[in-house]
Amino acid sequence: MGRSLLIVSVISGAVSVVRLLSSLGVIYLTLGWNVRRAKRAFEKELIKQGMPKEDAKRMSARYAALKDEALNALKRSIRPFS
Amino acid sequence: MSERPEKKRHGMEADEVKEILGAVSTEVPGLIKSIIASVFSEEAGKNMGKAAAAFYKELKDGGMPDAVAVKMTEDYISVFTSLGDVLKRAGGSGGKVRFGVSKGKTGVESEEGTEGGTVAQEVEREVERRVKQRLAERRGEEDEEDED
Repeated sequence: MGRSLLIVSVISGAVSVVRLLSSLGVIYLTLGWNVRRAKRAFEKELIKQGMPKEDAKRMSARYAALKDEALNALKRSIRPFS
Repeated sequence: MSERPEKKRHGMEADEVKEILGAVSTEVPGLIKSIIASVFSEEAGKNMGKAAAAFYKELKDGGMPDAVAVKMTEDYISVFTSLGDVLKRAGGSGGKVRFGVSKGKTGVESEEGTEGGTVAQEVEREVERRVKQRLAERRGEEDEEDED
């Protein structure tokens, strides 16, 4: 009885871990897409108000670079645990 | 005799771990997703763009030269995007981010980055100085009373 309960718990725990990892993977894969969309919307608003296209592109690149910075910070924060 | 409670305890622990993992696997992705969406979504980009564009337009309407207006808007945007710098500093100084005051400059600084020390250190120095001053005054008064 106790052993079967333990096995069920271990299996459902493993399922939860797999579900968590797959969700995080999906978030990571869709992040680039979200950043591109946000960058495009940002650029569009700047151009709408009369900013030169090159300047708007340079500014939106800075906005997109925030993603890399955030990911690097995340990697740095994970490193001490590994 | 004592094997049964031990087994029961292990079973309960496994059950608790299962519940915790179940909760984490549903809650954590949602939390991360909402944090990311608050910065990197079409809506967030649009709002940030609107703010920057309004700033730029005001500067232009005020008669600011184009190059200066662009430079100032870039600085304005860097306020939003300085989150990366803050995280970098937090990561670099072992998670310690201090609000530092250096000579003629205030802002978020890491412990290493400040010249004049942190606010806490300055307050500490000032308190120490005043306590010493007060003690010296009190000793002076006591000496005068003794002489009388």
